Amino acid sequence: MDIHFLLGLIPTLLSGLPLTLELTVFSLLGGGVIALLLNGLRAGSIVGARVADFYVFLFRGSPLLLQIFLIYYAPGQFSFIRHSFVWPFLREPYVCALLALMLNDAAYTSEIIRAGLRAAPRGAIEAAVVGGMSPLTRLRRVILPLAFRQALPAYGIEITGMLKSTSLASVVTLMDVTGIASAEVSQTYRAIEVFLTAAVIYLVLVTLVTYGVQRLEGWLSPTRTPLSARSAA
Amino acid sequence: MTEAAIRLSGIHKSFGAHHVLRGIDLQARNGEVISIIGGSGSGKSTLLRCVPLLEQPDSGQIAVGDDSISLGEPGQRLTGRDRQAMRRLRSQLGFVFQNFNLWPHMTALQNVMELPLHVQKRPRAECREEAEALLERVGLTARRDAWPSQLSGGQQQRVAIARALAVRPRALLFDEPTSALDPELVGEVLTVIRALAEEGRTMVLVTHEMGFARHVSHRAIYLHDGRIEEEGPPEQVFDNPLSERCRRFVSHHLSRN
Amino acid sequence: MWDDLTLLGFGAMGWGHALFTAATTTVAVSACAFALGLAIGTLCAWAKLSGPAPLRRLAEVYGVVLRGIPDLLVIYLFYFGGRQVATTVAGLFGHHGPVEISGFAAGAIAIGLISGAGQTEVLRGAYQAISPGTLEAAKVGGMTRWTMFRRIIAPQALPTALPGLNNQWQSAIKESALVSVTGLVETMREVGIAAGSTELPFLFYAAGIVIYLIITSLSGLVFRTAEWRAMRSQMPARAR
Repeated sequence: MDIHFLLGLIPTLLSGLPLTLELTVFSLLGGGVIALLLNGLRAGSIVGARVADFYVFLFRGSPLLLQIFLIYYAPGQFSFIRHSFVWPFLREPYVCALLALMLNDAAYTSEIIRAGLRAAPRGAIEAAVVGGMSPLTRLRRVILPLAFRQALPAYGIEITGMLKSTSLASVVTLMDVTGIASAEVSQTYRAIEVFLTAAVIYLVLVTLVTYGVQRLEGWLSPTRTPLSARSAA
Repeated sequence: MTEAAIRLSGIHKSFGAHHVLRGIDLQARNGEVISIIGGSGSGKSTLLRCVPLLEQPDSGQIAVGDDSISLGEPGQRLTGRDRQAMRRLRSQLGFVFQNFNLWPHMTALQNVMELPLHVQKRPRAECREEAEALLERVGLTARRDAWPSQLSGGQQQRVAIARALAVRPRALLFDEPTSALDPELVGEVLTVIRALAEEGRTMVLVTHEMGFARHVSHRAIYLHDGRIEEEGPPEQVFDNPLSERCRRFVSHHLSRN
Repeated sequence: MWDDLTLLGFGAMGWGHALFTAATTTVAVSACAFALGLAIGTLCAWAKLSGPAPLRRLAEVYGVVLRGIPDLLVIYLFYFGGRQVATTVAGLFGHHGPVEISGFAAGAIAIGLISGAGQTEVLRGAYQAISPGTLEAAKVGGMTRWTMFRRIIAPQALPTALPGLNNQWQSAIKESALVSVTGLVETMREVGIAAGSTELPFLFYAAGIVIYLIITSLSGLVFRTAEWRAMRSQMPARAR
């Protein structure tokens, strides 16, 4: 294994890092908003709940790669789309990949939020009702804090999951870390060195995120003094 | 009543810095019923668990019938021969746990049949017949197809006793068999154990039921701080112990019962 | 548009047969990967729970690494990396030019390794949920380790493990779509080919989604049935 090749490889691959991070952050933000909307829909009516169920079933039951391809290639089949104002956007692989990542993330995140909201024990809610809290205060002071703590570990896994999933954007020609790695392999034919180096970059990122989430979990854990008590003191 | 069913000699056991057993010698002759009493932390349960090597002693010798294992140093890895001896030794014992430990994925009858059928490899028909007879002995014929989760604590413990008997053991070991039971369920289990004692089975019983222990056992042992502090016929140990500590322990517990 | 639906059928012009074959390939790759993952998961769960220290650390590193790398890169590594190794080795024996390796095998191994990391945690959790007393009762009864695994551990762990194993199986199916990058004609690849040659991308990619939804829902149903049957044996209120 030659060291000069490896040393040159690292900065090359790292030049894809901004795109990888950008895709991750935007898809988590967009996915989070859609996930909240889905939960609102679910709470709103029975029909809304069915729609949300179907959305989750659709996006969790099929591969993300196929969702990306569908969004990227399918609109071209319809001339009314090709002639509409959205076409310049939908032609962009970046937009399509991001859209697919967001929609996919929303399905998983909405389930995490749902599980979190169900986590508040009935007794804790009853205590808040008896204590005379208004529904809004109840949500803000009891249900949401409990939901957040409950959902955090699962959401941590979702963050790293999305980070890894952004690598699929490379199949629609985006030059993220994986995209650059693939291009490098087709030039040098040194698949093992290049892909291993790329793997290490992801591994470091995932480890950092995991560590950060664990720190946050420790910070919020009930065995520590709660944040509110500390700020009040 | 001469030959020893169980022989323990020089048993030492530590958990970390805590020296739980400090050289125990104990023999149970065939047909003998021995009660082991003592405060919490005296090491009585650990001692009983050492017999089938659920806890591996740091040193000492354990023999059941003709099979024996010697241990020389803490954490010693058992050789293949030791493991075989251990399995033979275990298969001659019936052990009844405080928490019953029935297998939750098997019915009462399946629990009782499991070891004869799958360890001792006896014919299925024979195992079944014997298991049904044992369940009848402990008064649970009607519940033989129930899952453990459907049985009361007392019923579970009686199934566990039937399971222990099913291997045709040379000796029965009871580890506080009634401690996990609601008070009103203790009697049904003690009745079964008393009947077993009366038919001349070899038994070692760790218990808090002082009155019961005095009544059924041939010999009682008071354990304190990992050593045998008082040993003798129940009349001596429960009514006239030589050790002052034993006297206080027994009077405290007898008055409570 | 509706006329195009005949293209999905099994007629002379239809892609039905090709899609069906591709779907079976999807299931076959996923099943091989899942089985490999189950074997690895069992070994690693054992290593983490009671293996010797070096094996335990190896299992831990394996889990951290496989869960920290994008699935696509793992497949790339096994397929293109495997080809690189095979070509180098063949070169040593005087063969010149690139050597092809099976996309099916490389994909199944890659996804099997990914799945193994997940299944390790599922199986470990299921083992830890077993009451230790029931294992002691088996030991005292003189059971060998194998008998204990077969008669006491596995039957108790399985009902607990099934939901998690179902998740891992669903993941394996979805990850199998990535094997299309090796050229293996499974569902993802086949709908891509059909979309290209008919110039009806929406029709065929949507059909692809439906095919995956059918596979994941049907097999999910199988798992849930198994779960229900396994749980039944430990449920009260159902004495036979």
